[in-house]
Amino acid sequence: MHVPRRSRGVTRFPGGRSVRRLSATFAALATAAALLSACSSSGKTTLVWYINPDTGGQAVIAKSCSTDQYTIKTQVLPTDAGQQRVQLARRLAAGDSGIDLMSIDPAYTAEFAAANFVVPVPQSVEAQLPHAFKGAVTASTWNNHLVVAPFWSNVQALWYRKSFAQKAGLDMSKPVTWDQIITAAADHGGTVGVQANKYEGYVVWINALVMGAGGNIVTNPGAGVNANIDINSQAGVTAANIINKLAHSKAAEPDLSVSNEGTVLAPFATSAGAFQVNWTFIYQNYSSDKTTLNDMGWAMYPESVAGKPSRPPYGGIGIGVSSTSNHIADDWKAVECITSPQNQGQYAVSSGNMPSSAAGYQFPALQKAYPASLLQLFQKSVNAAGPRPLSPYWSDISGAIQSTWHPADSVTSSTPASSQTFIQQVLEGKKLL
Amino acid sequence: MRKQRLSPGIIIGFIVILVWCLLPVAWIISLSFKSVAETTTGSPQFLPKAWTLQNYRDILTNGDFLDALRNSFGIAIIATVLAVIFATFAAYAIARLEFRGKRMVLSLALAIAMFPVVALISPLFDLWRRLHLFNTWPGLIIPYMSFTLPLAIWTLSAFFREIPWEMEQAAQVDGATSWQAFRKVIVPLAAPGVFTAAILTFFFAWNEFALAISLTSTTAARTVPAQMAFFVGPDPFNPPYSQLATAAVIVTIPVIVIVLLFQRRIVAGLTSGAVKG
Amino acid sequence: MAENRLGQKLVAPAVILMLLVAGYPMFQAIYLSLYRYRLTTPGDRSFVGLSNYRVALTDSLFWRDTWNTVVIMVVTVAIELVIGFVFAMVMHRIMIARGLMRTAILIPYGIVTVVSAFAWQFAFSLNNGWVNSWFHWLPWIGPETNWFGDHWHAMFAIMASEIWKTTPFMSLLLLAGLSQVSEDMLEAAQVDGATWWQRLYKVILPNMRAAIMVAVLFRALDAFRIFDNIYIMTSGAQNTESSSFLTYRQTIQQMQLGMGSALSVLLFLAVLLIAFLIVRLFRVDLASARGEAR
Repeated sequence: MHVPRRSRGVTRFPGGRSVRRLSATFAALATAAALLSACSSSGKTTLVWYINPDTGGQAVIAKSCSTDQYTIKTQVLPTDAGQQRVQLARRLAAGDSGIDLMSIDPAYTAEFAAANFVVPVPQSVEAQLPHAFKGAVTASTWNNHLVVAPFWSNVQALWYRKSFAQKAGLDMSKPVTWDQIITAAADHGGTVGVQANKYEGYVVWINALVMGAGGNIVTNPGAGVNANIDINSQAGVTAANIINKLAHSKAAEPDLSVSNEGTVLAPFATSAGAFQVNWTFIYQNYSSDKTTLNDMGWAMYPESVAGKPSRPPYGGIGIGVSSTSNHIADDWKAVECITSPQNQGQYAVSSGNMPSSAAGYQFPALQKAYPASLLQLFQKSVNAAGPRPLSPYWSDISGAIQSTWHPADSVTSSTPASSQTFIQQVLEGKKLL
Repeated sequence: MRKQRLSPGIIIGFIVILVWCLLPVAWIISLSFKSVAETTTGSPQFLPKAWTLQNYRDILTNGDFLDALRNSFGIAIIATVLAVIFATFAAYAIARLEFRGKRMVLSLALAIAMFPVVALISPLFDLWRRLHLFNTWPGLIIPYMSFTLPLAIWTLSAFFREIPWEMEQAAQVDGATSWQAFRKVIVPLAAPGVFTAAILTFFFAWNEFALAISLTSTTAARTVPAQMAFFVGPDPFNPPYSQLATAAVIVTIPVIVIVLLFQRRIVAGLTSGAVKG
Repeated sequence: MAENRLGQKLVAPAVILMLLVAGYPMFQAIYLSLYRYRLTTPGDRSFVGLSNYRVALTDSLFWRDTWNTVVIMVVTVAIELVIGFVFAMVMHRIMIARGLMRTAILIPYGIVTVVSAFAWQFAFSLNNGWVNSWFHWLPWIGPETNWFGDHWHAMFAIMASEIWKTTPFMSLLLLAGLSQVSEDMLEAAQVDGATWWQRLYKVILPNMRAAIMVAVLFRALDAFRIFDNIYIMTSGAQNTESSSFLTYRQTIQQMQLGMGSALSVLLFLAVLLIAFLIVRLFRVDLASARGEAR
């Protein structure tokens, strides 16, 4: 490897020309890269709508709501609400004008509104929107302004196997409590499907349990970092006890610590299937499985405390208009079209995500696709729903809850106290999350 | 015991290595032929119950995946070409010339090679969003180039040092111009090294994930590894195992092709300079 | 001196690029790390001095993740070293099908880490994996073993994917070292009556020190930066976060650019420290080991 170097004159190096040629190549490649990465644009306005993943329903609406003035193009976001927030927020913070419309999850509606990422809904537009359920309006409001237009409203129900409830001797025509279904399932070889992975869905469950016991995780969420955290309360302890009971019961599914809306579907369809709490859209998941479908019953979300009406989890999507959009007037026209009762109804049929307004439920095809009692239950549930606190710091609060309450089998009656301290420290920047 | 022919231990070792290396690959290939319905209900056996090509049809008509594939190829190839050009200059200088700061260049390259990529995410994101490079091809090409430069410089300078440069002079003595001497003598000798460096660089860019998910947000620049992390199947709450496996198989095909064609070069490049001490 | 100037000119583009992408952002990170700065509440941005560092260094999460990272690094590198050495011995001795073997060994090396992570995630999956159904006869594995349900099982799965992918690289580096060990010396040792173990300890290993050092250093630094597998397989659930994943999460998911930058600086310092310790441990000058300096 010791190359003799008799002469080290630079004249031998065929430098100049090839260096120039290479830098020319470099410049050409750089230009090509810039061209390739630039978006092409035509004369007609394109409104880019960032959507949460679905079975294609939003793409259909985008097409039908496109007009001669503008075309609505959809871009799909990740599945997880936390990931959706990250993707959107980073682009919005970068001042990207390539976002016009967004399908926004309630978990970060307040944060986006507080950061002025979205334009509040103008009075004139609000007047055109269908009259939304109370839960939907609450979840879409920040600082007394409607900040996103409610599009669909999801709510959780208690789904059960009729044969199992009969075997366990449970009267499902009356409201049932968590204690009852956990005991019934454990005693008769069944399981209770819940969402307890370390993710937003777990906090949805915790929030519903706390609110069902008459409490609130945050009482004045509008105060941002200075909000009062009240998870350390009687209601918080009740919630912790329910989680503890399920996690240490035979009714827990083996993958409880990673369970989500999808993992609980399959066990429900087996012989051990008994109960699951889950969103409206899962009804469709069993459409090809007639055995399960015919044996499937539904009821109001379980009560945390016997006799106290439950507060079912609220989910859904509101359509927001980006403040960095170049076509805000067109955006609002598109929003009016997207959230029309007709589109809400149609979307409910195709996706299983229910309308945010009573008018949407009137859509004939929807009434044909679902049993009337189920549609009634959904509407009753949305009206009773307990949305998550509307705090711009919700992702931090939720994250802090996830790290103190996960895994479910580690939850005890002292968890609310420790999680309260931790949430406060996180908000003050004194603890890492 | 000079290189015994085939003792049983060696044969067992040989089989173990093959199983080790190929089993997981066989597994994703097999998974890619299972139907989505089969994996949703649970399918723990190794081979599909019923073989289907549907996943390949779905993936190859999935616009987002095709965009990601185009981004991956474009970004990896451009980053490779540019990095190798820059590295060739630097490696030539390091192997053949004496100049002040040579040690500094080598230390810098070493520092970059050890650099935790994730540590750059925060400042690069902040910088890129100001320079409007966030979610663009150059936004990934630039960091990929600089992270592959150290490896390319090492590989190339090791190769360049082995080149009998005096042959160039001999050619000139025989009447060739310096350009001819360079082109006819040195280029053929250096080309394999440059090529090896290019393959290793390409592997890096093809593989990179942390920057790809942090500095992109749409299919305008998202590469396949990042796209796979965000991949959503027909059912948003069940990971589409078999479709992900199909995407995995497709993104592995270029790797396998390159390995099949150039295994000798890659091994030489990976180990070059690693053992001389 | 012309040669001096040409040399500097030729390395300039590479040096500028490396400084631009690593050097400048590092200063930017040091600056940002002195602020409390959250991307979605930019109004709350404020100078906090070294507070981010103080919070991080006294935080149990930071140390837990550092511990995880060190565990992953030590365990994977140790196992890879042993398996890689066995592989290298086999490859060194085998005379047939060397092309096939080389191809096979390069596939894990070349495969995208995300793909490897998915392949192993699916293999360990409760409903769709073969690990439980093939190995349920082992006392600690059952058909219902949930590999992502608790800390050590999840760490095992992550480390398995890491070891699978990187052992071949290790074995190639060791193979190159092995081929430098002179056969004559081995034969002489055998003539002198040395056993196989004695030959391994007295002749082979000492002569491979440089190769082992390089392999360990590169793999250790690589393992310390582990990120992709964790992102795909657990996303940090069951306390399986690494230091890189923590830094990523603070920066990108929580948009805490200030704290994220402080963690980036700490991560960089940790990498420097590990490199320093390994080089010290083996007492080999890295530059000379790579054959660069003369």
